[in-house]
Amino acid sequence: MQRRSFLAGLLACGLGPAKAAEARRFRIALANLDETPGVTLEGLGFTGAELRRSFELAARTLPVDMLYFDNAGDGARAVANAEAAIAAKVDLLIEYNADADANAEIARRLAVAGIPALALVDPLPGAPLYGPDNRAAGRITGHALGAFALENWPNEQVLGVLIGDLADPGPAISDRVQGITEGVRESLPALKFAALDTGGQSVRADALLAKFLQTQRGQRLLIATLNDLAAVYARNAIEMNRRQSDCVIVSQGLDRNIHGGASEKKEIDPNNRGSVVLGSVAYYMDRYGYDVLPLALRLLAGETLPPRTVTQHSLVTAANVFREYPPFDMN
Amino acid sequence: MTIAGFAAFMGISVLSLLGLSTPASAEADCKALVAPSPFGPDDQTGATNRVTPVVTKAAAAEIQTGVVTSMAYDLVDGIPLFGTRFSKTILTSFAVVPGAEYGNNKLSYMEDTYLSQSHVGTHIDGMGHIGVQDCYYNQTPMGKYVTQNYLKRLGLENIKTFATRGVIIDAVKVFQAAGKLKANPACKSPCLDAGTLITEVDLQAGLKMYNVTLREGDAVFINTGWGDLFKQYPAQNTAYNSGEPGITDTAAKWLASQKVIAVGADTWAVEVIPGENKDIAFPVHKTLLTDNGIHIIENVRTDLISVAAASSNRATFFLSMTVPKAVGTTGTFVNIEAIQ
Repeated sequence: MQRRSFLAGLLACGLGPAKAAEARRFRIALANLDETPGVTLEGLGFTGAELRRSFELAARTLPVDMLYFDNAGDGARAVANAEAAIAAKVDLLIEYNADADANAEIARRLAVAGIPALALVDPLPGAPLYGPDNRAAGRITGHALGAFALENWPNEQVLGVLIGDLADPGPAISDRVQGITEGVRESLPALKFAALDTGGQSVRADALLAKFLQTQRGQRLLIATLNDLAAVYARNAIEMNRRQSDCVIVSQGLDRNIHGGASEKKEIDPNNRGSVVLGSVAYYMDRYGYDVLPLALRLLAGETLPPRTVTQHSLVTAANVFREYPPFDMN
Repeated sequence: MTIAGFAAFMGISVLSLLGLSTPASAEADCKALVAPSPFGPDDQTGATNRVTPVVTKAAAAEIQTGVVTSMAYDLVDGIPLFGTRFSKTILTSFAVVPGAEYGNNKLSYMEDTYLSQSHVGTHIDGMGHIGVQDCYYNQTPMGKYVTQNYLKRLGLENIKTFATRGVIIDAVKVFQAAGKLKANPACKSPCLDAGTLITEVDLQAGLKMYNVTLREGDAVFINTGWGDLFKQYPAQNTAYNSGEPGITDTAAKWLASQKVIAVGADTWAVEVIPGENKDIAFPVHKTLLTDNGIHIIENVRTDLISVAAASSNRATFFLSMTVPKAVGTTGTFVNIEAIQ
């Protein structure tokens, strides 16, 4: 019997990966996008180190031995890392690399070696893809802003504001913006948006919004920030201009810039329910390992995965942040 | 904005604005959330019920050489504390000032005021420390028993005694022997890294190293080596608090099945952090304290007794630890000694 067929049979009998581990452990490589300190992923606040750590933690209870490679944001290095993974005779490669040409070459070499792959965020030819659903995440933001306006500012004129790296040429940002506008217009069809482009420097959200607020005295503002650091700076501008009563922010990401442990007193916190930051849509990039490694095991068990599996995004607020991310800074 | 709208914006309910009870603060079904105590429906003591005179007498037989080994760290400014936790003392010493002495014999005195949270340094968690919603040990609906200053049930005054046998399990040796030790580079001596799972198999291997079989009433201590970072305070406080090696929930359940009375470690939570399940908070605390009444002892200095065990080939000792009868408290710093 082929190994994969045998494993698929085990799974079909209701025996999960833990039971299969008694038969075999798998060597799985993660080639990470970029672990350079200070570099963040996908226009959000997550780091490559956080993503890698999620694999390290998730692997603890699974029948896998992990190998880690850092593509360092370089296509040539990604190809070299894939070659190293092939030489190490891994059972599966999880590839996170944004260079399409390099991914085509990696896919070709993996096919020759007979090694299956999973792609993270960016497509790898022939490999199932796991990543965010940027448009859906944006839509959650839009829904939250629209619902807030209907609940709290009924029959009042409101204006939408988009803050972030709006000129980013990648599809992720434009998909998020599209989702935000679609979502909010389900409840506020005529809502207009102003765009404040931070040019990739979230700190600029403070000055940009402060200046904008001066031109919009008394205007109710529904603010969508494209990352959490921008939300923190935007909140600062709102507070400094004493506009808390007519501004609300919903952000994208839910990274550690905006939420933390029980003692950290970050913006989204159960004890900070009066914040103008209503919440942030979670992308869970610091938990990818928990979603992706089970997919990898299913693939290794011979299962055909859907071409694309997406993160189950959700709006995280002060009311549920400690349920989504249980803090462990108490004992 | 209406009151309801404003309240919704603020994330609070109108009921709470009006001072009425809310669904969130309603009593949970504690019988569904917490296991009953094996010591009866009125029990507030927990596992120290198991320390009977027979248990203490048997433990006394562990004293063979009289050698005493400290198992507590100094409680001093600079040790790792979480977030807003603090531990300060104020020294009252005015009677030392010339002329302020008492009597012709010029008696002087000094004393301290503690301004400290209780869960600092080497400390014990009591039954009032951890629950699920408002349900605590022995299905106690603690919402009824919380006052501004103390608990009206499950306080430390209900503890019986820790005059029992202590057992040290050296997880560092277990992992070294198994060739699976992944150390943290900040440790100056061998340690398990943060997030390392210590399973019941590892615990059993550690016991087997010294030919120890757990018995009812034992207090179990685990040496992970992580305490090395505590000893480097304050330089490694952030690293120490960032996570820790520790037992899994399954291992905790196994220890509970052995009817131990306490589980301690040279870590700040005894259990593995980050936990096995990203969505579950402190499962071992719930298993040991809430479901089984087993005390957790944190920041225990386990390195010295581990060395002593290795040199004497004896991993058991008489446990010397007392807990103040501090009424209605959830925990306290303690001193611990192992007497062999």
